[in-house]
Formats: sequence, C-alpha cells, structure tokens
Amino acid sequence: MEDLKKENDLLEDILARFDVEGQVQRERRIWVKASEENLTSICKFLKEMGFEHLSAISVTDWLEEEELELTYHLWSYDERVLLTIKTRISRENPVIPSVSPIWDRSAQVHEREMHEMFGVKFEGNNDMAPLFLEDWNGPPPFRKDFDWREYVKKEYYSKDNEREAVYYE
Amino acid sequence: MKKESPKKKKMKKIIKAIWIFNWFNSCGFAELIPVVGSRWDMERFGMIVTGTPRHADVLFIAGYQTPKSIRKAQRVYEQMPEPKVVIALGSCTMTGGMYWDSYNTIKRLEDYLPVTMYIPGCPPRPEAIFEACAKIFKHVKEMS
Repeated sequence: MEDLKKENDLLEDILARFDVEGQVQRERRIWVKASEENLTSICKFLKEMGFEHLSAISVTDWLEEEELELTYHLWSYDERVLLTIKTRISRENPVIPSVSPIWDRSAQVHEREMHEMFGVKFEGNNDMAPLFLEDWNGPPPFRKDFDWREYVKKEYYSKDNEREAVYYE
Repeated sequence: MKKESPKKKKMKKIIKAIWIFNWFNSCGFAELIPVVGSRWDMERFGMIVTGTPRHADVLFIAGYQTPKSIRKAQRVYEQMPEPKVVIALGSCTMTGGMYWDSYNTIKRLEDYLPVTMYIPGCPPRPEAIFEACAKIFKHVKEMS
C-alpha cells in the first residue's frame, strides 16, 4: 500500500486556499486544474511552498474545443513531488499572465518558445523575440490548423521546377 | 613529351591532399564517420578532416539545413580560401529528403551555396564519397 499522506496534505493545502480541481495520481504526482484568473496566485503560493523548479511549460492545441491548454510542470526538491498545473484559455485570443515574475528566467525562455510555436501571449514577459524560427512569416507552426504542406508548397517549391512539379500533382 | 606549364607544375605540388571541413546536421555526421575510420580510411587517398574552415579546400555539407543553420554554413563557406569546392551529401541537401514537407528546412541547397557536386544516397556510400573526391583531384588538375 502506497503512503500518499504527503501528497494528500499538499493537495488539501491547495484546495483549501483556491477554487481549483485537483487529484493525486500516485506517489509523488499531483495534478491541478486551475482557471486563468487564479493561475498567478496559485503559482505564487506554490513557489512559497517549495516548488521552486519550473521544469517545463507546454501547450496543447484542442482544435474542436477551440481552446489552448497550458501545462506547467513544477518540482519541489524538499517534498520530491511533481505537480502539474493545467489551464485552458481561448484559442482565438490566447492571452495569459506570465509566470516569469515568479520563476524568472526558467519561465521566460519557455514562454518565449510557446509564444513562437503556438502564438500564446504572455502578459508581463518582456522578451518575446523569436527563439528558433528565423524570418518566419507564417502562422504559429505548432497549431493544429497550420497546414505545413500548403505552406511548404507556397514558400519553398515551384511548379515550374521539373523535380518539384510532382508535389503539386 | 608535352611540356607542362609553370602553373600546372605549381598546382601539382600544392595538390597533395585535400583538406575537408565538415558541416553536418542531423544524421549526416554519423554517416560519414566510416570514411574517416580505419576500414575505408580516407587519409590513404589524401583527404584530411580539418578543424577550421580557413584551412579547408572542400566543404562537406550533409543532412538537412534549416534557415538558421544555413547562415552559419554560408559564413563557413566565406571563410574558406580560394579555390574552394562545396560537396553536398545525401538526399536531404538535394530535396529535403525525408523532410521534404517540413516548414523549416532548406529544400534546394544550390539557392544558398554554390554546390559543386551532389552525392546522392541516404546516406551516400563511402565509395561514392571517394569517387567524388577523385573527381575533385581531376578537376583541379584540369583547371591548372
């Protein structure tokens, strides 16, 4: 039998303070679903709780539901717990407060990447310059409605080129 | 016997070995390693890999190039002394290879660098690389 006391105590602490959904999946693994509004406050609270390592921010594109899901992976060195916060924002107007005032540079670079790949705007992050793509003029490439074949045909290939005409057939 | 021009004599003295600078992305590097190793041993043919483009005669480009990496490749090319040769290895450099529909890779290398020779294959066989280098030796001798 796994002893989940540490995890359950942590989750109870969070649920007592914020209006969020949470779940202890297994040992050292907690999931929290937060809304856009209380993301900043819950992040601040978790940082003080000892979740000082932001390992990654990722984005999932839910095309049918017209939402972008942001996932923040946090690690606590004291508790040895991985806590994941999920937040959904609208796909049309993807704006979310930045967590870079809380985790500083480790958040900054992840947000910069997600801004480039998914077009999410992080309010409060002061450097959103392109990270990987150079001279990019297309839509954010990791979005599901981005048709990269059409883009490649338009940008790289030519119908008149003998060896490339086959792509247009 | 036909008398050789002084220029040709001089070139013959210079052309003892060709020095190669490698610019490899992705699997291109792993694919050329057998050529350097003891089995195919390119040094017996007078080909040496150098660490700096400023000493290189030949630029080997392998693997896909991205819009970001191609600029660095162009800078490497500009640093090489004349006369210089660019050899592109593998199908990635010709058409993008398996990245033919990627939004972020170069499809035609000749748009960015003056490619002297393409070696087809995914990857090219070491023998194909030797043949290409034999052609360079021949080309240089004809040039002089």
